[in-house]
Amino acid sequence: MAVDITLLFKASVKTVKTRNKAIGVGFDTSKDEILKKSRPKSDFSNRAKDVITNITRLKDFLLKHRKDYINAGGLISSEYSRMTDSERDQIDQDAQILIRTCSDAINHLRTEASKNALSAQTKEHQGAVLDLTEMYLKSVCKLYSEQRAIRVKRVVDKKRLSRLEPEKRNKLVDSTPPKTPVISSTEQVDEKAIQDESTDKSNAETQDNNVALWEDGKVEDELSPEEIQMFEQENQRLVSEMNSLVDEVRQIEGKVVEISRLQEIFAEKVLQQETDIDNIHQLVVGATENVKEGNEDIREAIKNNAGFRVWILFFLVMCSFSLLFLDWYDS
Amino acid sequence: MMAASIREKQTAALKRMLNFNSPLMKNTAAEPVWKVLIYDRFGQDIISPLLAVKELRDMGITLHLLLHSDRDAIPDVPAIYFVMPTEENIDRICQDLRSQLYESYYLNFISAISRSKLEDIASAALGANAVTQITKVFDQYLNFITLEDDMFVLCNQNKELISYHAINKSDITDTDMETIMDTIVDSLFCFLVTLGAVPILRCPRGNAAEMVAVKLDKKLRENLRDARNSLFTSDTMGTGQFSFQRPLLVLLDRNLDLATPLHHTWTYQALVHDVLDFHLNRVTMEESTGPENSPAGARPKKKNKKNYDLTAADRFWQKHKGSPFPEVAESVQQELDTYRAQEDEVKRLKSIMGLEGEDEGAICMLSDNTAKLTSAVSSLPELLEKKRLIDLHTNVATAVLEHIKTRKLDVYFEYEEKLMSKSTLDKSLLDMISDPDAGTPEDKMRLFLIYYITSQQPPSEVDMEQYRKALADAGCNLSPLNYIRQWKAFAKMAAAPANYGGSGAKAMGLFSRVMNTGSQFVMEGVKNLVLKQHNLPVTRILDNLMEMKSNPETDDYRYFDPKMLRGSESSVPRNKNPFQEAIIFVVGGGNYIEYQNLVDYVKGKPGKHVLYGCSELFNASQFLKQLSQLGQK
Repeated sequence: MAVDITLLFKASVKTVKTRNKAIGVGFDTSKDEILKKSRPKSDFSNRAKDVITNITRLKDFLLKHRKDYINAGGLISSEYSRMTDSERDQIDQDAQILIRTCSDAINHLRTEASKNALSAQTKEHQGAVLDLTEMYLKSVCKLYSEQRAIRVKRVVDKKRLSRLEPEKRNKLVDSTPPKTPVISSTEQVDEKAIQDESTDKSNAETQDNNVALWEDGKVEDELSPEEIQMFEQENQRLVSEMNSLVDEVRQIEGKVVEISRLQEIFAEKVLQQETDIDNIHQLVVGATENVKEGNEDIREAIKNNAGFRVWILFFLVMCSFSLLFLDWYDS
Repeated sequence: MMAASIREKQTAALKRMLNFNSPLMKNTAAEPVWKVLIYDRFGQDIISPLLAVKELRDMGITLHLLLHSDRDAIPDVPAIYFVMPTEENIDRICQDLRSQLYESYYLNFISAISRSKLEDIASAALGANAVTQITKVFDQYLNFITLEDDMFVLCNQNKELISYHAINKSDITDTDMETIMDTIVDSLFCFLVTLGAVPILRCPRGNAAEMVAVKLDKKLRENLRDARNSLFTSDTMGTGQFSFQRPLLVLLDRNLDLATPLHHTWTYQALVHDVLDFHLNRVTMEESTGPENSPAGARPKKKNKKNYDLTAADRFWQKHKGSPFPEVAESVQQELDTYRAQEDEVKRLKSIMGLEGEDEGAICMLSDNTAKLTSAVSSLPELLEKKRLIDLHTNVATAVLEHIKTRKLDVYFEYEEKLMSKSTLDKSLLDMISDPDAGTPEDKMRLFLIYYITSQQPPSEVDMEQYRKALADAGCNLSPLNYIRQWKAFAKMAAAPANYGGSGAKAMGLFSRVMNTGSQFVMEGVKNLVLKQHNLPVTRILDNLMEMKSNPETDDYRYFDPKMLRGSESSVPRNKNPFQEAIIFVVGGGNYIEYQNLVDYVKGKPGKHVLYGCSELFNASQFLKQLSQLGQK
């Protein structure tokens, strides 16, 4: 367990002061202390601190309105929730703008810091400061995106639940229009039948048919049982089709969100690898250059070797010829 | 509260210090406050096994620097100092104050600072008009290094000052001894403060351990009496203190058992310490470039030095650091296989995703595969980390295996186990020593010393001459032998030599190749030795004292209870119940073999906790060096 000896330290400061006074060594403490207050704070740290205060403000803002935003009181809008959707959108927009400005400010600071010619330690310090700020921003972003995800989910759920009722009604509305064209077509046939009646007797059959149709058309209003069944079946079919379509669409939506998230992760990784690949590229280019030069050197060496060999052979042949000559000369 | 390990306690103390000595709060997305950490070499040794650089960054430390390096002014950042209160450190701090490097200063001293040095800082601060900048001054009482959950060492930096050699050399002066004892007592006191418990002390009579115990008892007593400033009040004990029992602190001297530091070993952690360069949980190895034949005339490849950290987060290490080496080899192989299976799983997904693009029933399958893909992607970092650990352990284990094979360490281990258990030997000692391709001269010296220490009566003069000649032929330095003879003569006078208990290693025959096809660890010719549980002298003494067994060896130990009003000279313990928690401290040095033995002992006794500490940690070659220095007088 650590022991706080700050008080002990302050006491020893007093002792030293009194001792110095007694000895007569004086320090002009008071004047300098007042001047000391205005210590030069570097521009960089001021700006970094500004960014941090902004992010903190955003965080407080998000946390304050979090409960209203999520509206955990259920689907029924109670009088306690004061958030309309437009307000929520406003919050989203503001948060996004603030996040963007903060990350821009961080990047700006980073480029400035790398341009400044400062000592290595200060550079490292500034780099680490910016890293910490970025991490803080990321955690606040996570808060925001969590909230947003919950909201989106609720909206989707709400839509799903509220869609079942109007669907049926929509389907019935769809099925009644098919009936009216039938009626209008029979009316048209009816008119035609009346027109043709006087002219064409051979159309008696058709007339009869027409009359039969017309008769049937007249009964249309009461909906014969077969047709009721047919329409019902059609309704059912359409309802199930629409349902399955909606399900699929929702699933796809969810998957697309997931895929986009994965995409982000992949993009991040790929970007990370970019620098590595650049390095490798440089190294490989250097290596090929070296290998080429090496080949050249080897070729020269072979040539020299060959040339050298030729000279040796020549020398030996000359020696043997000289020996033969001497031998012949001697004899 | 000892159930929380000493490592956690020290880490918690360090983190609190880094948070400007205010307690840490679990905040979701707390605002970062950046600071600079400055330490000296002692501080560095304490922090490095506990906190990695990443954790420091997470706590807001942007820069961490050595005290005595050139540091630039960063005038708007608070600085946290973590140093020992020595003269030079104080001077450097005063210099920093005068050059006004930082905005505010939080001074933390590793052990308690004296009043006069505090006044030095005060006068320097006055001179530099920086008194308001010194925001806090703390005594941290953290003057010890924790290596494992239940193992600590006193220091690493100046360990020659309190080494076995320093304590036992024949020309030691009283003042030197006093300083050494003071250093040891100071560190032990810091350790007990951090632990938050006042133990009952027991120590044997007549050696350095007794001196340390007397001083420690006095220091604890003074601190407890001083009701205002006592460090052991119930507030400092913390809110988790549910154990009402006090722990037992056993102080032992290295001279009790000289054979164990020289012993060859067979468990993973002890082997790494013995054979490779292992300090403060970091292994430094040369990178092996593989079994390539470099063509004639080529320049020799430069070997890089690589550092591996074996930390608490490394699950494989935590599980296997006490296992015998063949088991470790098998486990590495198993881990590699599971990793490869998982990798294949991830690769298979790629082909599945390729197919699904054309299929019509894509939507139903898609959900399944998207979930699989998400889980695969999120498990990728884990997989990568696992791969890194497997590579690390493969490298380390291969290096250790190389050493074992070239030096035939398994043969030595088996032989020494037989020596220590006094069972029959199948090969005479002379044969072992004169065997040219088993072991370095150091190994042979160690073997002979163990034989000498454990034999009931010393070998006859004729035998000694033979052995000496054989050792000299093998190239050994004979000076440790002189020292051991002296020690043995002295030890014989004092007490009966330590009994190593029934032990032994059964050889399970040669490793079958069939089991290891495809494995890199083809341990042909290396015996698969199975360790039988046996107790080293240290463990046996601990057992006697903890269980309050009566044993002629330990009955004579002194008993100290700092909480009692009157110190008594008797050695009769007042408390008759067996202890649940114990701390063993070896004055003069310790090693991993003893630690492992204690861990194994505790495993067999549920509900008991044992901490192991020593004044320095050495492996056999370092200890042999110290012995030869002692023998050269």
